[in-house]
Amino acid sequence: MGRFVVHRLAGMVAVLFAVSVLAFLVFNVIPSSDPAQRMAGRNSTPQLVASITEEWGFDEPLPQQYLTMMGNILSGDVVSYANRENVDERIVEGIPATFSLCLGAAFLWLLFGVLFGYLSAVRAGGALDRALTVLAVTGISIPVFWLAAILLNYLSYQTGLFPSGGYVGLTEEPLEWAYHLILPWITLAVLQVGFYSRVLRSNMLDAMGEDYVRTARAKGLGERRVMTHHVLRNSLIPLVTLFGLDVGVLLAGAILIEGTFGLDGVGQYAFESLKGLDLPPIMAIVLFGAFFVVLCNTLADIAYAFLDPRVKLGGSAQ
Amino acid sequence: MSEPLLSVSGLRVGFATEGGLVQAVDDVSFELAPGEVLAIVGESGSGKSVTAQTIVGLTRSPNARIEGSIRLGGEELIDAGPDQLRRVRGERVAMVFQDPMTSFNPVHRVGAQLTEAIRAHRPAMRGEEARRRAVELLGAVGLPDPELQVDRYPHELSGGMRQRAMIAMALMLEPEVLIADEPTTALDVTIQAQILELLRRLNRERGLATILITHDFGVVAELADRVLVMHEGKIVERGDLDDVFYASKDAYTRKLLGAVVRLDRAPPLRAARQEAPLLEVTDLVKHFPVRRGLLFDREVDRVRAVDGVSFSVARGETLGLVGESGSGKTTLSRTVLQLLAPTSGSVRFEGEEIAGLSRRRMRPLRGELQMVFQDPYGSLNPRKRVGQIVGEPLHVQGRASGAELRRQVQELLERVGLSPEHHDRYPHEFSGGQRQRIGIARALSLRPKLIVADEPVSALDVSIRAQILDLLSDLQEELGLAYVFVAHDIGVVRHVSDRIAVMHGGKIVEQGPADQVCERPADPYTKTLLAAVPIPDPRETRARRGSSAA
Repeated sequence: MGRFVVHRLAGMVAVLFAVSVLAFLVFNVIPSSDPAQRMAGRNSTPQLVASITEEWGFDEPLPQQYLTMMGNILSGDVVSYANRENVDERIVEGIPATFSLCLGAAFLWLLFGVLFGYLSAVRAGGALDRALTVLAVTGISIPVFWLAAILLNYLSYQTGLFPSGGYVGLTEEPLEWAYHLILPWITLAVLQVGFYSRVLRSNMLDAMGEDYVRTARAKGLGERRVMTHHVLRNSLIPLVTLFGLDVGVLLAGAILIEGTFGLDGVGQYAFESLKGLDLPPIMAIVLFGAFFVVLCNTLADIAYAFLDPRVKLGGSAQ
Repeated sequence: MSEPLLSVSGLRVGFATEGGLVQAVDDVSFELAPGEVLAIVGESGSGKSVTAQTIVGLTRSPNARIEGSIRLGGEELIDAGPDQLRRVRGERVAMVFQDPMTSFNPVHRVGAQLTEAIRAHRPAMRGEEARRRAVELLGAVGLPDPELQVDRYPHELSGGMRQRAMIAMALMLEPEVLIADEPTTALDVTIQAQILELLRRLNRERGLATILITHDFGVVAELADRVLVMHEGKIVERGDLDDVFYASKDAYTRKLLGAVVRLDRAPPLRAARQEAPLLEVTDLVKHFPVRRGLLFDREVDRVRAVDGVSFSVARGETLGLVGESGSGKTTLSRTVLQLLAPTSGSVRFEGEEIAGLSRRRMRPLRGELQMVFQDPYGSLNPRKRVGQIVGEPLHVQGRASGAELRRQVQELLERVGLSPEHHDRYPHEFSGGQRQRIGIARALSLRPKLIVADEPVSALDVSIRAQILDLLSDLQEELGLAYVFVAHDIGVVRHVSDRIAVMHGGKIVEQGPADQVCERPADPYTKTLLAAVPIPDPRETRARRGSSAA
């Protein structure tokens, strides 16, 4: 276990380094990305551009610029090229909205994904299974931005049942927090519920053919215990890996949904920064995202070993 | 005869498939008396397992058609409701299955799986009491340290211990009938002997009526009082043990008994060969390092899979390599073929050193050294046609293409007893025996001089097994092939080998001419191995048991 964590931490450093170098290089090779030119504005004089270049160190060699930027990000001194705001502070401000959105939706999609997948597998071939299949495929196929627009139109603008957006702090007003997040949660969860229920259904159908399920029946266990204790229990294990990846990716911000529902989170910030080709926040958010992807993956692997006693953490170097 | 405990009459089980109704069990009737061991023998697809599982309703499914009558102590089970069936399962009829690894749920502890049945049937019993019973039974079936084993996971036990735990699980509720479905097929022969002894003891001490499902007449002779022989869903022969073995009336039964390869019958003597060795292995070592460390891996231990092995094989000769699982025989055969890089030692083929050759330099030699694998299902790519599978080595080595390739492949298919029309079919359209023929055709395609066959017949039915062994020996005759025949079944090995090498713990403990190793073994392990092989002859089995008891 200790060895496993050490290996993963070393791996995380490597991933963060690779991702940041890549982001930095890509930014520097795309055309019209010269930050001095952009900061100086459209009607700038060459002298102004030169002085900005001088002041911000854009004339230094790329490795030097990269190191300076990374140092600033890690020490919390990095500022935006566009408006000189402190980037790290801005990300921290966005975290509550982003995490609330992601974790709440994750809870919903896990709950309903497992519920629908279970029902679908237990009643495989029946009417309920077919209905849930249609529902799942529909959920997977619906574009997120379309669903968001439909929900907003019918449940907010026309009927006023839910607020149209904005974020209320959990500690300030817990009920308002949940009330404001219901539509974004549903939007984000619909796709994943469909996906997870399909994966679980097929895992469970595979597991039902296993010898140990026959053994469980031969012992005289009731059908529900066979299904929950032997079939479902073993079929949930692969979902853990999937869940770790999905949550990791979403913790770095759900760009489309945050924008549509006016949640001023990390995803929204990422979107604005990308529009303005603002390198410092882009770099910081890329690092932020990669950090959570690796972290959630590691947690998923630990959970996996906990759920499946055959798996030993750090048993092999691969 | 006393009142039957279980009586099955006119049982028919059919499964609706896309190709129509498949009648798996066709009008089967039999009775089981208390304290009796009834063996149901048959090849795969004979309906023996379906018959056994139908007794407790395990074959029920929307596309199964089940008719007839199954009476357990006067209670009709064929149309029993789910609750009635549930009360019978485990409580009155318990089952033990073939593969103890897959038959335990890998994520729950052994003890929890044992006590689960008690919780389902006797909710009033306290958890502590149930656990005590589990420990007691694990001890009764011969598990060392039952107090410790009860908290372990199935994968932490050895195969033999797992099957003992499985039997303990079946005994948790003191059932009247035990159905053992191929209980020793997945086990090593020395472990098999222990499990058979355990089943015999349980039958004697607890008067446990047992239905033994098996394909192995040796196991039948060890254990059964009465025998049913099934073929294509029907019972073709029934009678007391000796009647079936010595006075069988049915032609299929006689054929099956005749096809059994017997360790205690010497095969016709083969001409001794005295040629320069084709393959010479000297002090071959293959170790797998065990690495551990916080940040950097250090080698902390090594698994000595092959630990200093020497042998040689002459042109046209068969060397039998026998050993139980974990003995290193598969690692040895792969290391010899350079599929695994040896740790040290020498492998000379036609006088040329091949140990440590690079892949590229090994490539031209690959055609001369071929391999046939155990699993005729897993070792053929299901998405490729037979022609592609057999022709791929020729194609890859650039020996033939186009119409010429097709002609050569069809010739190979004919040579192994298949039809040239099979060229464009997929592997799933063939039976196990036919698939093994495809595997052999593939191995032959590059005209090898040496074939390493790793358990080539152990996944096959008895009657098919004999055909494949005959094919291998015909090919040897015609093509002058040398074989390294790797197997766990010393009976089969004796049947085909000129010389035998016995492997144990990564070393060859004994090697010599086949007759000598089997008749006058020198090594204690070889003796144990030979003594553990069940002999398909009830009289000899009794004689052997009598002499070991005396």
